[in-house]
Amino acid sequence: MGNIFDILVVNPMTNVLLLIYDVLFHNYVLAIIVLTIIIRLATLPLTLKQQVSSLKMAAMQPQIKAIQEKYKNDPQKLSEEMRKVGFNPLGGCLPLLIQFPILIGLYNAILRTLAVTPISLLELGKHIYGFLPNLSSLVPVNSTFLGVLDLGQPDKLFIIPILVIATTYFSTKLTTPPSTDATSKQTNQMMSMMMPVMFGFFMLSAPAGLGVYWIVSNLIGIGQYYLMKPRLDLAKAEHAAAAAGNALPTSVSTPAKPKAKLPPPRSKVKPSSSARVAKPGSDNK
Amino acid sequence: MKRYSVRALVASAVGILILSACGGGEPAPSAFPGMLVDGRSGYLADNIYVYKFDVQTALQDWQFPTAVDNANPRGPFSGVPVKFGDVIVVGGSSGVNGAYDKHVYGLSDQSGQEVWRFTPPGNAGREFVAGVVTDGKLIYAPNGDGNLYAIDPAQIENGQPKVVWTFTTGNRLWGRPLLAGGKLYQGALDHKLYAIDAATGKELWRFDKASAPIAAQPAIADGVLYFGAFDSNFYAVNAGDGSLKWKTPVDGWIWTDATLSNGAAYFGDVHGKLYALDMATGKIQWTYETRDSIKAQPVISGSTLYVVSVDTNVYAFDLNNIRKDAAGKVDYNNTKWRNETLARRLVSTPVVVGDTLLVPIFDGDIKVWALDANTGARKYQFPLPPPATATPAK
Repeated sequence: MGNIFDILVVNPMTNVLLLIYDVLFHNYVLAIIVLTIIIRLATLPLTLKQQVSSLKMAAMQPQIKAIQEKYKNDPQKLSEEMRKVGFNPLGGCLPLLIQFPILIGLYNAILRTLAVTPISLLELGKHIYGFLPNLSSLVPVNSTFLGVLDLGQPDKLFIIPILVIATTYFSTKLTTPPSTDATSKQTNQMMSMMMPVMFGFFMLSAPAGLGVYWIVSNLIGIGQYYLMKPRLDLAKAEHAAAAAGNALPTSVSTPAKPKAKLPPPRSKVKPSSSARVAKPGSDNK
Repeated sequence: MKRYSVRALVASAVGILILSACGGGEPAPSAFPGMLVDGRSGYLADNIYVYKFDVQTALQDWQFPTAVDNANPRGPFSGVPVKFGDVIVVGGSSGVNGAYDKHVYGLSDQSGQEVWRFTPPGNAGREFVAGVVTDGKLIYAPNGDGNLYAIDPAQIENGQPKVVWTFTTGNRLWGRPLLAGGKLYQGALDHKLYAIDAATGKELWRFDKASAPIAAQPAIADGVLYFGAFDSNFYAVNAGDGSLKWKTPVDGWIWTDATLSNGAAYFGDVHGKLYALDMATGKIQWTYETRDSIKAQPVISGSTLYVVSVDTNVYAFDLNNIRKDAAGKVDYNNTKWRNETLARRLVSTPVVVGDTLLVPIFDGDIKVWALDANTGARKYQFPLPPPATATPAK
């Protein structure tokens, strides 16, 4: 399994990273930035899908809670009703599951090309494509940045760990969908604090090159969020409207607030497939 | 304080504790263990310890350090230990997280206690991956900072051997120099091989025809140096002036030190292929494919060639009876014997002691397997297994 992951993901990324490094004047930081951008752009549709799905689930929370309360003693009916309103807890997971190996692959490719230990250099030698000429001549990559930072060593100035903490905090804060449920809210807040601290702590002993990747990835994530915000807001409005509309036929006492917070009139909301899926009485069976 | 903040604090603390726990105990090895056998004594530089043991009984004499000291971490250690009088010299290497031990240690042969410690001047320097060489007067220590340090343990200044000279290259030195005829031949990751006067540290010539790092220790015979490089070429270079005699392309990076015998050079590549080359012409005589990288130097005893591979197997070949096909390929089954039971990656050069082949193990609790050199059968392990505890009768 490890071999398959290597062949399909890590090896191509390792070689592409070296090629980019070659093109970009042997600047390893630039190579990491460019490859991270390419990968984040390639996975953009998945990111968007996952965020829309998360928003949808968040918007439906009051309705779902009410259904769960009403049918708590009838699991079959509960599952039927949940299906009717379009509840799919795994909806946001699949895109994330696809992205995860790609990010792990990139992480491994960076670690491998930095070759900070003898054993990692030996591993690099096994995975450089022989049909691409001159890649071996790029080894070892120039891992110093601005003559100060050795990307193969932990950052003793703590600049990288601090930037990792800051960017992870903002990235997590922005990309976590708002929750109306108190427990979920608490969990989200906890995660947005815990994650940056954990990553920052990890960076105290990890090669700084990995931190560069993480910072760039977070910054791109933040940028993506702002670029996608109009679309996400639209989706959010649609889902909120759909969720509010759905609440009536089930005769469940939905909290008044979400209803009062109804987004723009439906006529102004561009119909989308996701909104139609959530609508009661549709073909979603 | 809000409830969630307390929870976040507790969760962070638990997370940090888990991450800290990951760093505890013996870390994963990151460099290649090295073993020296001197009489009945075996010296093994392996990950975070250096061991001295009896190669006949597998009983341990000492280990350095005696226990892990997190406040004063040492190691990982790698490279072949060297004996300098009654001092065992080992180098600190590069760790998994990029941290490194930038010292060369002189340890008492008798007790394993630290006698001296060399740190590159100005507290500079990086890892000593490949170990050191000595002519009995000076110790020559190649460092990851690109410098080859010549140090004199007879002159201790401020608690450490005096630096006699420093030779600077363009990149990391992760291979051991060859010391022959008062000259040092040092390969570097800057793609060059340097010839240096061992007494003065002056450069005599440099070979710059390789297009990738040179991390192997050259071998010498009849005034010719033989070594491989990461550009997948094996080179024969005149030791007098550094001129190229011939080069032979192979399939992958070469990191093994070549072994020379009866007109042939033996070495492996990172794809696991073993080569026998004619030393006069560079023509490939035969090849054999193991299933993973060959990093360790092949060893010859009598007419048997021993090779270990990252594929966890030990291979023995009868050099008087190599059965190859028309293309010079030796079939996987045409070995004298194979031991496929060690189940651990093998990256370090084995040592033949009488009729025993001592094989350093890269990772795991067993540090060395002793095999019957004639059959490949297991004889004993170092450290010895713990005594079996009697199960109480019901």
